[in-house]
Amino acid sequence: MTGSEGLIVAENVRKTYSDDGVPVEAVRGIDMVIREGEFTAIVGPSGSGKTTFLNLIAGLDSLTQGRVWLAGRALGEMSGRELSDFRRDNIGFVFQAYNLIPVLTAEENIEYIMLLQGRPREERHARVLEILEMVGMKGMENRLPGKLSGGQQQRVAVARAMAAKPAIVLADEPTANLDSTTSGELLDMMRDLNRTTGMTFVFSTHDRIVMERARRIVVMRDGMIAEDSRQPGGPPQ
Amino acid sequence: MTGKLLSLALRNVLRNRRRTIIAATAIGIGLAAMVFTDGLMIGMSDNLIDSVTDTWLGDAQIHREGFLTTYSPELLVDSAAEVLDRLDRDPRVVASAPRVLAQGTVSSAADLRSVILVGIDPERESRVSRIDDSIVGGEFLREEGGEGILLGSKVAADLEVGLGDRVVVTISQVESGIIYQDMIRVSGIVETGTAAVDESMSFVSAGKAQEMLGLPEDGFQEIAFTLSDRRLAEQADSNFWAGYSRGGNTALGWPDLMAQLDAVLAMSDFSTLIMAVILFGLVAFGIMNAIFMSIYERIFEFGVMKAIGTRAGRIVSLVVLEAAWLAIISIALGSLVGLAATWLVAQQGIDYTGIELSGATFREPVRPVLTLQQFIFYPLWVLLLTALVGLYPAVHAARIRPALAMRRSL
Ligand SMILES: Nc1ncnc2c1ncn2[C@@H]1O[C@H](COP(=O)(O)OP(=O)(O)OP(=O)(O)O)[C@@H](O)[C@H]1O
Ligand SMILES: [Mg+2]
Repeated sequence: MTGSEGLIVAENVRKTYSDDGVPVEAVRGIDMVIREGEFTAIVGPSGSGKTTFLNLIAGLDSLTQGRVWLAGRALGEMSGRELSDFRRDNIGFVFQAYNLIPVLTAEENIEYIMLLQGRPREERHARVLEILEMVGMKGMENRLPGKLSGGQQQRVAVARAMAAKPAIVLADEPTANLDSTTSGELLDMMRDLNRTTGMTFVFSTHDRIVMERARRIVVMRDGMIAEDSRQPGGPPQ
Repeated sequence: MTGKLLSLALRNVLRNRRRTIIAATAIGIGLAAMVFTDGLMIGMSDNLIDSVTDTWLGDAQIHREGFLTTYSPELLVDSAAEVLDRLDRDPRVVASAPRVLAQGTVSSAADLRSVILVGIDPERESRVSRIDDSIVGGEFLREEGGEGILLGSKVAADLEVGLGDRVVVTISQVESGIIYQDMIRVSGIVETGTAAVDESMSFVSAGKAQEMLGLPEDGFQEIAFTLSDRRLAEQADSNFWAGYSRGGNTALGWPDLMAQLDAVLAMSDFSTLIMAVILFGLVAFGIMNAIFMSIYERIFEFGVMKAIGTRAGRIVSLVVLEAAWLAIISIALGSLVGLAATWLVAQQGIDYTGIELSGATFREPVRPVLTLQQFIFYPLWVLLLTALVGLYPAVHAARIRPALAMRRSL
């Protein structure tokens, strides 16, 4: 592969951890291409390697073997600082919980990445208002995370992930701490954003409700891809 | 960005208020102790120096070279009248007094004591030393016709004499070596609290002493004087001293005259320094501990910050700024406590009166002294130290690996 096959290209990706000297093969040879505009769920039982795989394609963890390209750049060739800046500019992250810096307001959390990028204040503020509206959190810009519900916090996290217009949003179990109704609503919102903005989403989940909303479902088992299926109504391939 | 980072750091410090207040109090008490100790040491040494210089020594003295090692009475100050005249006109000099000094004995019916017989100019002497203020019986020597003798209180007690009694003074004359004896009436008893004076000095008028020793009218062994700024006495290299050290004379400030006391004070400066090192060490570890604690409970948060693209350098800055904020809060607290404690103790003073140290006696309660430096240098040290020790936890935080941090803390 050359890296130009898709937005994310993973080639024979392997990750072996050492657990007290015992090697643990968390990811065992994954080839995968994720194209722009996809809305992909990675599912599988606990310990199947979902988080590990997401970390590898995000450049948060080093590969034991294989190669990963994101937006045409080979992650393995970047220095720590380059990788840090690359993540800032190209990847939006949503984690399971505690995404937000607790002492910053919703607005400050959302503008954080743009601040790191050195964008001017007016641009940041306009973008925050725009994105808050998109995630249905209009008027909440001055709330501290502690004053938001779990679902609202995740919406703000999605807003932060998308605010600087990255190439892709990676979400590791974004609904794990939410009840099923709220989970459904968050996923519906993400899917709408995928549709209206064309933003690429990859998320992992245990949750059937969440899984059902994906257009592409990748099933992992024992660090490998067991199944890769596309739902009808997905984007043109 | 810098402004935002400062604000983020402050908010992080204020996040766990109780811990911040406890840490800041500990650090602040360290700083306050430093301010107080420094103030007390200054108060103590001022007190001791004052007691020595005010009682008898003066801030400085002029002698013929060699006099201070031999105490030979023939070593007279060269051109004493001229020197006194120059001192009178010198704006840096407040007052000066010439003295005749001779070794002799005083005897009564009961006993005999060896003393330093001092001939003084009562009017000039009263402006330099406190002999005139230390009369516990009788009166100070009078300008004219003062033919009596003042005895140190211990001398009088040993000789079992009181006011109006007569004592025999014996000295050997300077040129001839002839033994000169005179019977003089005790006109006053001197008690300064300083052993050197009370136990071994007796005072007569300068004229009387010169007559007894066979000295000319401007024959003096010592000229003591006080300075408008006592710190001049500590600057031995000032050209002031050279100006009076000519014609075979030597002018010396109190640190040279009271080398012992000077050494004791230098030693107490050194112990202040040791104390400062220990206190600052405690402060440093207090800060490091507080910062580490706050980092450990935020591992996940730092993981997220790094994952979403915060550079390691920025994390280091953030944590160092947090340490700096903690220091600033501590400094505010510590300066206030230090100021209050020092001021409160200074109202009453600490009573060491009567205690003698290297020939100096505490005459008044010791009052800790507040100086501006205590509130500039010590706080600056705390701030600098904080930034420095904050670096260790800061680097630790910057090294957090997001994947690991988030796996461990969930
Ligand atoms: N840092 C690590 N050190 C050792 N073993 C690890 C490490 N990270 C992951 N593993 C192991 O790798 C395997 C895959 O873990 P991973 O977290 O990727 O699974 P997951 O599919 O995300 O599971 P879950 O659904 O529970 O989140 C597991 O066996 C896990 O114990
Ligand atoms: Mg996982």
